[in-house]
Amino acid sequence: MFRLPRTLIIAGTKRIFSNNHTKTFKQLALGYKSQYNVDNIYTKSNTDFLSDLSKHITKFSSANNEEFSGYIPTDQLTISYSRSSGPGGQHVNKVNTKVEIRFHVESAEWIPQWVRDKLVQKEQNNINKEGFLIITSDRSRKQMLNQADCLDKLRTMIFNSCQKPYEPTEEEIRIKNKRIAKAQREILRKKREHSLKKQNRSSPSFGDS
Amino acid sequence: MASGITEKALKLVQSLPRLSLSNIKNLPHSIKKTKRRRRDRQHGKTHGRGHKGQGQRATLPRLGFEGNNTPFYLQIPKEPYYKDHELRKEYVPVSLLQIQRFVDLGRLNVKEPIDLSSLCNTRLIQVKWEQKQFGVDLLDEGADIFCARLNIEVQKASELTIAAIEKNGGVITTRYYDPHSLHAVVNPAKFFAKGVPIPRCKLPPQNEIAYYSDAKNRGYLADPEKILHARVELAQKYGYALFEYENEEEKEMLLTRKDPRQIFLGLAPGWVVNLKDKVILKPKDPEFVNYYKS
Repeated sequence: MFRLPRTLIIAGTKRIFSNNHTKTFKQLALGYKSQYNVDNIYTKSNTDFLSDLSKHITKFSSANNEEFSGYIPTDQLTISYSRSSGPGGQHVNKVNTKVEIRFHVESAEWIPQWVRDKLVQKEQNNINKEGFLIITSDRSRKQMLNQADCLDKLRTMIFNSCQKPYEPTEEEIRIKNKRIAKAQREILRKKREHSLKKQNRSSPSFGDS
Repeated sequence: MASGITEKALKLVQSLPRLSLSNIKNLPHSIKKTKRRRRDRQHGKTHGRGHKGQGQRATLPRLGFEGNNTPFYLQIPKEPYYKDHELRKEYVPVSLLQIQRFVDLGRLNVKEPIDLSSLCNTRLIQVKWEQKQFGVDLLDEGADIFCARLNIEVQKASELTIAAIEKNGGVITTRYYDPHSLHAVVNPAKFFAKGVPIPRCKLPPQNEIAYYSDAKNRGYLADPEKILHARVELAQKYGYALFEYENEEEKEMLLTRKDPRQIFLGLAPGWVVNLKDKVILKPKDPEFVNYYKS
């Protein structure tokens, strides 16, 4: 912690140019452009990188073949902060670094229905009586990192629930059946061989003796 | 003195004979003798190889071999203390906590883009090019309490730092300054007092160009479309919604970035800024104009 001398606070910042700009920021941007300017290197790219790309997929139909997009809308989750446990002195006593995320699974329309059902089954231990899935993290010293950890856990849970049972292809079924048939043929062949071996040991019989 | 030389040169031109094939010569060592076969009487018999032994029989060992004892070049150990010392760079650490404090105390104006010049003008951060410092490294201490919306330009920033700034609706760009440009950027007033034209900032060296071309680092040479995607990815990773800008002016301010060759916003390389008379001198010669634009 450094102490600011009073004179500096009162004087304020010393500026080289005046605060009254004769040009707007847009005009300044159009002023000088060298050959290495981003507009000249990436001619097809849109220079407005502040627009929000995320198309909010908040509702899925009840169809069984819908895939989870991976997008988690943070406004649909309830994120709360509290103090973490463990050692750490004044920092752990005062700062809210623990993050808890909860949301009602059954009514979460940003997850497909079939995934929701599987999630309820798999994550029984993390869902309370009212049907809220609760995820907490106090792994690190920073709230932002703990929040990222919570979301990572949530994403892993959902993707694990999205896993479909393995369905073999036609080719694989064909190969499998071929192998089974071959094994069966081999068993019969061995049986016949063994039978012949046993027959050959006995003395030959010529009908009525 | 200079006139004496020109007079001598003119006298020579008057007195010397006209150039022709008979009185010009090749530059020394421009034509080398081709290696000729050693077939004449001088180079016959042993052909420059001496008598018997390994020397004549083409079985000499490798250079540095000393008859199977550890040779000199292996005996002496390597001590690479200064290996790549010329490529090592330092960055002055500045935390988000410090930046928040500056903003709160009025040392930084959030309504304008903040770059290395603004940070050095606070006089609380010093960047010394003589000590191989190439700028400022924005650290993530104070990421949880950071709440300023600003357009900041630094040299290095970690993922958490970028997330903290974008969470609050700000914009961060990482940018390279070569030492000569850095000298100007760090103390603009002192630089303008010299009366020297604003330098053209050089591109980053080979080992740094990948960093500044990466959208994940918000590099100034990165594709803006990739930055667009990277912003969404980071918002999803850290669990915040991307800021929706209502004020067009503010959005314009946040979108302003300097050209890779430009070191002062609003001023082009090649200009001479006269602070005393409040005049800017711009070059008119097309050779200079093209040089500074390239």
